[in-house]
Amino acid sequence: MDGAMILEWVIKSIFLILVMTGGFAYVTLYERKVLARIQVRIGPNRAGPFGVLQPVADGIKLIFKEELVPAKADKLIFTLAPVLTVIPALIITAVVPWGTEVTLFGRTIKLYLADINIAVLYLMAVTSISIYGIALAGWSSNNKYATLGGLRATAQMISYELALGFAMIVPVMMAGSMSLVDIVESQKPVWFVFVQPLAFLIYFIAALAEINRSPFDMPEAEQELTAGYHTEYSGMKFALFFMAEYIKMIAISMIGSSLFLGGYRGPFVDQLPALGPLYLFIKVAIVLFVIIWIRATLPRIRYDRLMQFGWKVLFPLALLNVFVTGVVLILVGG
Amino acid sequence: MSVEKPVVSLADLCSRYEGLLVPDERQGFEGYLISPDHLISFCRSLRDDVGYDYLSSVTGVDNFPAEQMEVVYHFYRTTGGPSFNLKLQVSRHNPVVPSLVPLYPGADFQEREAWDLLGIRFEGHPDLRRIMMWEGFEGFPLRKDWREPFFEDEAKPFKSRWPDGQVIRSEDQNPYKNNVRYPNDFDPEQWTPVGDDALYKGMLNLSQNIQSEFKTDQIVVNLGPQHPSTHGVFRMVVVLEGETVLSLKPVMGYLHRNHEKIGERNTFLQNMPFTDRLDYISSMSNNFGYALAVEKLMGIRPPERAEYIRVMMAELTRFLNHIFSIGFLLNDLGAFFTPALYAIEERELILDVFEAVSGSRMMCNYFRFGGVARDLPDGVLEKIKELVNDRLPRKLEEFERYLTKNDLVRIRCEGVGVLSPEEAIALSAAGPILRASGVPYDVRRADPYSIYDRFDFDVAYGLHGDIYDRYLVRVEEMRQSLRILKQVVRDIPEGPIMSGKPQYQARVPPGEAYGRVEGPKGELGFYVVSNGKPNPWRYHVRAPSFINLTSLATMAKNQKIADVVAILGSIDIVLGEVDR
Repeated sequence: MDGAMILEWVIKSIFLILVMTGGFAYVTLYERKVLARIQVRIGPNRAGPFGVLQPVADGIKLIFKEELVPAKADKLIFTLAPVLTVIPALIITAVVPWGTEVTLFGRTIKLYLADINIAVLYLMAVTSISIYGIALAGWSSNNKYATLGGLRATAQMISYELALGFAMIVPVMMAGSMSLVDIVESQKPVWFVFVQPLAFLIYFIAALAEINRSPFDMPEAEQELTAGYHTEYSGMKFALFFMAEYIKMIAISMIGSSLFLGGYRGPFVDQLPALGPLYLFIKVAIVLFVIIWIRATLPRIRYDRLMQFGWKVLFPLALLNVFVTGVVLILVGG
Repeated sequence: MSVEKPVVSLADLCSRYEGLLVPDERQGFEGYLISPDHLISFCRSLRDDVGYDYLSSVTGVDNFPAEQMEVVYHFYRTTGGPSFNLKLQVSRHNPVVPSLVPLYPGADFQEREAWDLLGIRFEGHPDLRRIMMWEGFEGFPLRKDWREPFFEDEAKPFKSRWPDGQVIRSEDQNPYKNNVRYPNDFDPEQWTPVGDDALYKGMLNLSQNIQSEFKTDQIVVNLGPQHPSTHGVFRMVVVLEGETVLSLKPVMGYLHRNHEKIGERNTFLQNMPFTDRLDYISSMSNNFGYALAVEKLMGIRPPERAEYIRVMMAELTRFLNHIFSIGFLLNDLGAFFTPALYAIEERELILDVFEAVSGSRMMCNYFRFGGVARDLPDGVLEKIKELVNDRLPRKLEEFERYLTKNDLVRIRCEGVGVLSPEEAIALSAAGPILRASGVPYDVRRADPYSIYDRFDFDVAYGLHGDIYDRYLVRVEEMRQSLRILKQVVRDIPEGPIMSGKPQYQARVPPGEAYGRVEGPKGELGFYVVSNGKPNPWRYHVRAPSFINLTSLATMAKNQKIADVVAILGSIDIVLGEVDR
């Protein structure tokens, strides 16, 4: 392990974090534009051409906003909670491959940060951590709405984590490996979404619930709980929650693309590896569009029905899917 | 709905109370006077034997200099027909009357309002607190001898400004802080609100005796006054067990401006634009109700063309109000603004029509006593025809296609916030709320006003009384409105739009009148008393969304907190009208 290799890792990590935070900014713009189009509006178009500077303006506004801390809040945890939410969101995509290998400056660079052999387990572990941030935020703000939002978030995430896990096991079984690079490579003949449409659907629904997106945005249900767990947050602390939510959106889309939609694979990617990130980008953009589209069109499901759906429909279905996949794999001799 | 034949007729009942029930024989007044001692027994027979099961309005009139105050009740049959007016005359010093809440629970908020503003004490009311003013407020602002902080004159136009036009504002002569009168031992700097703690304690005590296998704590949550889905500054105090609502109390009055007091200072005509500010979504209907009440007093009727224009505007208002309220109901269910914005698109087109005829999109001020302010400008009728025959039916179908069969909408709405027909009538619910509960009571049919008896339309009603039925009733009412509108644009005659010449000062003979219309939100009534002067002596608004809120607590009991928001959305309140 030479110094250049460490440098390469550092550069790649910084690049990844920058892409995720920059991506967050532009996903907000993307969402606002798409929502506006769906709702017969125009959307932000004042800051810069086509509103491309809107995220910058939003960021500057949030930085200069006053940071309020409620008088009876637990100050340490109140400050820690957004950080605890945003860090898992930032590190989660470390194991997602962007492509195979490219040669830059005479050096072969692998287009992924880490190809660890327990990548799927890593994903599961890291996504679970972010619940702590939300639950603590709800609890520490000393606000009833926030507490209710935090409690809802915890219950919801725990319920949907199981279905999510089982949906993620299916590609692992098909590929015979937990490494995401292997999983993507084994989708060379056919994407898993065509073999396992049910698993993809379960993954998508559970992932929406996991990142609290509509129609499962219970923890921050505006109409009931004002803003849920981040009711009392303002300024940059609020921006961190916001950032975590959108980065998680990107992450979920990236992971889903890698597990089911062939990741960076696409036509001619073997001949021209630099196409890999482009294909991944397009797939992520499409998945994001669907997420936003759902937000624009569906009303929210009620909390108790959401839990029922999670435990009584999604979880057994995911379990059954894993079972059937296993039996078929053994019979075919995979 | 079960229609039971009244066992006695009204005349029988009146003769049974011979001597106790005195006809009101003042010039221009109608109805009967009764003494407080016999009110309860009389009203029980009135409700149970004669079938006047719907208490539309309760209010008071202060007959200052005379040491006497009146309480005025308007009863109706839900099977239709004219009103039965009942009055009580009590002393102004200690006005005590028995409460009608045990018989007609819908009197709850209205009696609280009369207590709050006029100081009439209703004996036997379960929760007689102030409703609009704050707890600890000194005085009763609707009494004639109560003067507001910047008092100038008893009646408009103020002498300092008219006819000479030398404007002297009372706020200059009587600067802030000198203008307010406090009770002797009251220090505004030291005062802390007292009402709320008692309210929370009472609500927690009520819900404490619930048996459960777990030891759980109940929490009190204030939904509002600053809350995204209360549609304004409105507060619901909710006792929660987990996410289930054990009890709920609405708290209102944050937008209170004593509309009625200002209305009594205004001249009759000055009140016309003032009614726009009640339910600012549907100002045309407000105009309609007020114009009807005053026209009844004046004994005039508008000419044919004006009647058609009025009905046209009222039905367009109903359409825009319903499509708006459905859009925002979906918003309350958590759909992110898309249905609301689709609804607003159609609303804008109707507002264009309003702007063309009246000059204003929301505060229309279009009706006059004996007609309307202006005739339809060129091209507007064609525009309305295009809207009514093509655009709006098409868009309504589109709405239905997306929403009516939508599984998520049905899961969230069916069986939620149920109000049985008996409860709906007892709680004086009105409009789509009453009809969705299975009571096909529509003022346009039950007690036709204007020219509604000429048009073919059906009264939409539901069977379950849940949110979904209220949605369906609104959709059906929009369709019926379009049906009426098609007949209106086909039949509208040419002719004058005002009876008599336009006048700045309406001459209103003494008397009383209760004009009511089927507003989009329910029965909108104006109770106007004139003493022959240019200003109304009493101007009372029977605000439908205020009275519909009486049933909110019943509907929300044992529902989930997410549903409370949807239930409130399905009542369709406008805080300008609730708080007045």
